[in-house]
Parts: sequence; C-alpha cells; structure tokens
Amino acid sequence: MKRLLIVDDSKLMRDMVAACLRPLGAVTFEFAGTGLEAIERLALAGFDLVVLDLNMPDVGGIEVIEFVRAQDRLKTLPILIVTTRGDDASRARVLDAGASGFLAKPFAPEQILDEVRKLLPA
Amino acid sequence: MSERVDLKEFIGGFVVEAEDLLATANACLLEIDTAISDGKSKPKAVRDLFRTLHTIKGLAGMVGVEPIMELAHALETLLRTADRAGGALQRGAVEVSLQAVRAIGERVRLVAEGRPVPAAPARLIEQINATDASSQTIEAPPEIGGEWDARLSASERQQVFLDVQRGVPAWTLVFVPSEDRAARGITIATVRTGLAAIGEIIKVAPRTQLDASGKQAGIKFEILLLSTAPAARLAEVIDADPATVVPIAVPVATAAASAEPVPELEPEREADISRIGRATVRVELDRLDELQDQLAAMIVSRFRLERELAAQHARGVDVRKLREVTDLQARQLRDLRRAILRVRMVRVAEVLEPLALLVRSVARTSHKEVRLELDVRDAELDKAVADRLLPALIHLVRNAVDHAIEPPDLRVAGGKPRVGTVRIACTELASKQLELMISDDGRGIDRDAVARRSHREILDNQQLLEVLATPGFSTRDAVTQTSGRGVGMDIVKRVAVQELGGELALDTQIGVGTTFTLKVPLTIAIVEVFSFECERQSFVVPVAAIEEIFELGDDRIEPPARPTAEANAKRVALVHRRGHALPLISLGARLAIDKGTVAKNALVIRHNGELIAFAIDRMLGRQEVVVRPVDDPLVRARGIAGATDLGDGRPTLVLDLMELGDLGERVGA
Repeated sequence: MKRLLIVDDSKLMRDMVAACLRPLGAVTFEFAGTGLEAIERLALAGFDLVVLDLNMPDVGGIEVIEFVRAQDRLKTLPILIVTTRGDDASRARVLDAGASGFLAKPFAPEQILDEVRKLLPA
Repeated sequence: MSERVDLKEFIGGFVVEAEDLLATANACLLEIDTAISDGKSKPKAVRDLFRTLHTIKGLAGMVGVEPIMELAHALETLLRTADRAGGALQRGAVEVSLQAVRAIGERVRLVAEGRPVPAAPARLIEQINATDASSQTIEAPPEIGGEWDARLSASERQQVFLDVQRGVPAWTLVFVPSEDRAARGITIATVRTGLAAIGEIIKVAPRTQLDASGKQAGIKFEILLLSTAPAARLAEVIDADPATVVPIAVPVATAAASAEPVPELEPEREADISRIGRATVRVELDRLDELQDQLAAMIVSRFRLERELAAQHARGVDVRKLREVTDLQARQLRDLRRAILRVRMVRVAEVLEPLALLVRSVARTSHKEVRLELDVRDAELDKAVADRLLPALIHLVRNAVDHAIEPPDLRVAGGKPRVGTVRIACTELASKQLELMISDDGRGIDRDAVARRSHREILDNQQLLEVLATPGFSTRDAVTQTSGRGVGMDIVKRVAVQELGGELALDTQIGVGTTFTLKVPLTIAIVEVFSFECERQSFVVPVAAIEEIFELGDDRIEPPARPTAEANAKRVALVHRRGHALPLISLGARLAIDKGTVAKNALVIRHNGELIAFAIDRMLGRQEVVVRPVDDPLVRARGIAGATDLGDGRPTLVLDLMELGDLGERVGA
C-alpha cells in the first residue's frame, strides 16, 4: 500500500486532489494543511509521494522542497508541485529547488493522475 | 481504470469554502481599515488577505468559475505588490478591495443558487489594476540580530522592532517534533495554536538537527514569538525544559525602555482565527435540512405505527411487546432530534460577522464615526433562528448608526467621545432563549416628538415601541439614503415576536442612548406546509400529513347516508374518488366556524389505514414556516398543533388533521 501526503491549506483542494487520484487504487491518503505540518509528517513517517501546494500560510512550498531535499533520507522522495502560479518562471524556480514534477491549477483530473503515475515508484 | 472524476461535484464545497474565505477577507480589510484610521499599517492582515484571494482564485479555477477567478486574480496582484512594498494599503486600495470582495461574494451566491455567473465587471477590474499599492516602502528595515534577519521580510522585521520597543519580549523557541510527542497530541500544529493564543508568532523555521558526529538526526522548528507570557508557560506549550526558554536580546529594545507600558496583545482573537477549522466539519445547510426532513418523515411514520397499534389493541390484539419497541423507538427519535438540533447550532459571533462591514459602510455614507462592539462570547443559536434574526439585527444596527449616533462634531460639543459606540451583547437565558441587547450611546428617541407625530399619548417605553413598530412609521421626515429602503421597526417586531415567538423591548433616554432587547428561542421547528383557506380564514397543515389534494365536484358527493342530526351537524358525507368512496368531513363544521361557504377542494389524509377527505375552500400555496407551540389555553384545543405566521403578521393555526379525524369517529360517522 503506497502512502501519499497531500499538502494544501484548502480542505476543498485536498479533497479534490484525493478524488482525482482515487483511480490509483491501493494508496492511502494523508493530509497536511500547512508547510510546517508537512515537514513534520515527512520527518516522522515514510511517504511514497507528496502533492504540494506552493502558497501556504507559514512556510511556502519552495521552502518545504528545499528543506526536504536537505534531509538525507528524503533526497529522492517524489514531490509533485500543484500551484495556481503556473508561469514558466515559477516552474523553473520550483524544479530548480528540487521538485520532481509541476502542475498548474486549474488542472483536469486525468492530468494529475498521469503526473502521479509517472512519479510514483513501482 | 477509467473511473471518471468530475470536479463539478465539488461546487457545493466550493461555495462553503469560498464563503469562509470571503469572511476572512472582509475581516482582514476591516482590520486594515481600522489600522489606517489609527495611522498604522497591518502588514500581517495584508499578507493574509493576499493568501485568501490566492486560494479563492485557485479553487474557482478548479471548479471552473472564471469571473471569480478573474476578480480574485486582479485583487491578488494588487495585494502582492502591497505585501512586497511593506504591507501598507491606502484607503483607496481598501475601498476598491472591498468592492472586489463584494463582487466575488455576489458571484459565489449565484453559483450556490445554480444560476449563471456574470462576467467580472470590466470597470472594477480596470480600477483594481489602476490602484497604486506600492505607495509606502519601509526604509532601512531595522536589524533584529541573530539568524532571523535573513529569514524575515521587511515588514516582519518592522513589526518585531516596534513591539520590542513597546516592551513586548521576543523569544526564539525550539520545538522538536517526535513520534512520541505526536502520539501525545503535541505537533507543530498544536504548538502554533497554543502559542498564538498567548502571543504573536512572527516566523517558524524548520531546521535540521545534527548529532555529536555531525550526522543528521531529525528536525526541529525554531519559532520567533512576541509574547508577554512567562517563560514557564511558553515551555509548557512547546513541551520543553523552562530553563532553555529565554527571551532574545533585540538591540533596539534599550532605546525605548521608558516607552509606554506593555500593551495588552489580543490573544483571544488570534486564537480564534487559528482554531477555526481544527475540530470542525463544515456541512452544507441543504444536507442538514435533508437530514431533518428524513427525521420528520420518520416521526410521521412513527405516529402511524402508533395509531395502527392502538387500532390493533382496540380489536383485542396483545400489543405489549410491540409497545415496548415503539416506546424505545420514540426515545431514540427524540435523542436523534436533539442531536440534529445541536448540529444546526451556529456561533452567534459568526452570525454577526456581516454587521461590522455594515457599520463601516453606513458610518461612511452618513459621515459618522462609529465603533461596533460585540460581546457574544460562545453563545450559539439555531441556524434557522439566526437566518430569520439577522435582517432584524441589520435594521437595528443600521438605524443606530444612521439615526441614533450624532455627527462627530455634535458629539464632541455635547461632551461625548467623538466615536460613537454600537454594542451587541447576548446572554443565554435559562428559558432556552437568547437575549440580545443592541445598544447605542446616541441621542436617544424623543418620546414627545413621536407622540406629536403619531397623535397619540405615549407614557412609557412600551407604548413608544408600539408606536414605532406601527407599519410605515418613521421619526425622520427626510428619508435618508440608508434607512429609507430598509425594513421598518414593524418588521423587527414581526420577526422577533410573531415569527420567532420571542419578545422585543425598548429602553431609551434622551441624550444618553437607546437599547433594544430581543429575546428569541434558541431553536425553532421549521415545517413545510400547505396553506389554504377555510371559511375565509387561513390555515396550514404539514405537507407530510397530506396524501392527496383534489378538486371537489358536486356530482361526486353523496349526502350523509343516515341523516341523523349529529351527522348532519358534522357534515360527514361520502365522496367518490377513483372508484372508492371516502368520508368527506367539512373542516369548517369540524372547527365550528361553518358559514356555509361552498367547498372547492379536499385534503386527503390517511387515518388508521383509511383515507379521509376534508373539504376546504381553496388552496393558497406551499411554503416553509416556523411553527411555535400554542401556549394560550383558550386556543389550545385538539386538532391544533401550533401557530405560525404566513408573512401577514397575523397568527395562523397549524392543524393536526389526524386529531380532527379522530373527533369524527366519536360522533359515529
């Protein structure tokens, strides 16, 4: 059973992402509402993939990526960034910081499903 | 694997969350507006506002509501500029932001009603884009010292600097998360909530922990906090040794040792904001109504069961075992009903949220300076009561600002503070009622002037209220822009007294102020009913009780088979309907108001398994009403379930046709 962490300050967005990913089948979804909570959860437990929003109240997504990548045991954790800031500059910045994938909101359900399938280790 | 996911399903969730976010946006704007009045800025509120709009934009995009996306995007861009320039907004920018938030709110409501959403108003978008938000830049942000300088924005450093100067200690706290702490319910989320309640968190930074050999060993969080709370209290929140908690020395602090005394932070407000959404699930009201409808249907079927049992018992069947089960079921239904009612309770503080915006805008248009004070603590109210009550409160508050509070110069001349106060306080009474007091420190109501205008003698406040609540009465000759189109005191009284079955009282003193006291029930029963006329009087019956409604034709009615005097008096006839003959009872006769009007319609109920028709004059409609119990012993009679108000201000009786059918059995139909 794969474990996915969905990080977004909007509950509705977390629910929508989980709904889009339900066709994956055997996965469990866990949720975090802020960047700090995400960092805490990732530090304490093993996840197979993170879906991460950029704009959050405490530490932003970029900071989360940078921090996560600085942890030896999280260097290869797949991180999919999902953001309303879909411009090329943001994409470059996010990938440069160490994200594994980038998806601009709004997206169609199949799009995020495809991205996650690509990133999720077999 | 091709399970289709349609994000349109989330539209209901979008409405709920968007309304929440808009409330936050308005609260931020009000905070910024107040700060401007005091000659200050509120960088944190600007940042929160920016984030809120950003979230709305993202959600609107996902569910495909482009006009909202467009408005949110324009406003977000404006606010991002403001945030980067130090977080100061000018009045003009606040004004245009309020307009944009309102425009988004209107569109969210249309989405909720399933109606088409108009495009974003081009002029407003232009206005937002033309608003200059980079007007104020903080020069040379002061240094905090240590590693924080690099991590803080200019406005954050400014905030720390100012607070430390005022004498509020700054702290760097270290919280180390662990599985053990998480198991005990201590996480970064709870730590933040705990700290926000006793101080202001400026920044939280995650750090990697290193062991003695320089290897990575977990993580920790460093928290920059401004708080007047003692070190021991802070240590408790972060589950750490108190000895390790010491304030940091900010270089600037020495310069202002003689500054003003330590001001009270506003911990409760902060705590409230961070607590929202923690242990709560938001539910669309429709779903709750559905639940309540189902419950109502169960109660109706339970009554049928009860009657069927009674009928069996009357035929000599032993129903004791069954009776035990139905008694148990009755208690369970009652508990379920109570549980649902509790779910429907909303916080009064939340209900009153729109009033702050109202006070602000009415004060501006009427050139007053007014502060709204709320003292509602944790009071709760049934959502159905709250929805009916809010228009009345809006009217009272609008009146207070527009009419009662004097213009600032007049107040100063009269020895009053320049800024007027409108205050709403509430207390829960033992009688399951909520008492709301809406008071102002304005000019008071001139009883003599009201008496002259109404040509009535007014001896006390109660009589004064009666006159004020007469439809169409106004003490102002010049109809002002704001109150002219509002509802009158008559509506306030109707909502509080007739609709909700509560009380309304008035206390006023010339030159000192006015207080309106409303007492309303904490919960009410809402029932969907058919309204109809019988002998030119209006009545209602619950929709759930009615099997069928049909038009009466004379040819199908058979006069009473045995024309006894008794049967005649009750007018029990037979009506042929779809090959069956059913008893037809004249409702007018049964209610003893018969004037011989020709009945045109019949309401059919199922009574002890048999259909019975009641003849009535004509149907009026179908609507939802608040049913209140009839306490007056003169009106309390069999067949009357309660009273309601159909909107004309007159009480209308809610009939229990089952009971009225029972009465028929006794006369031997």
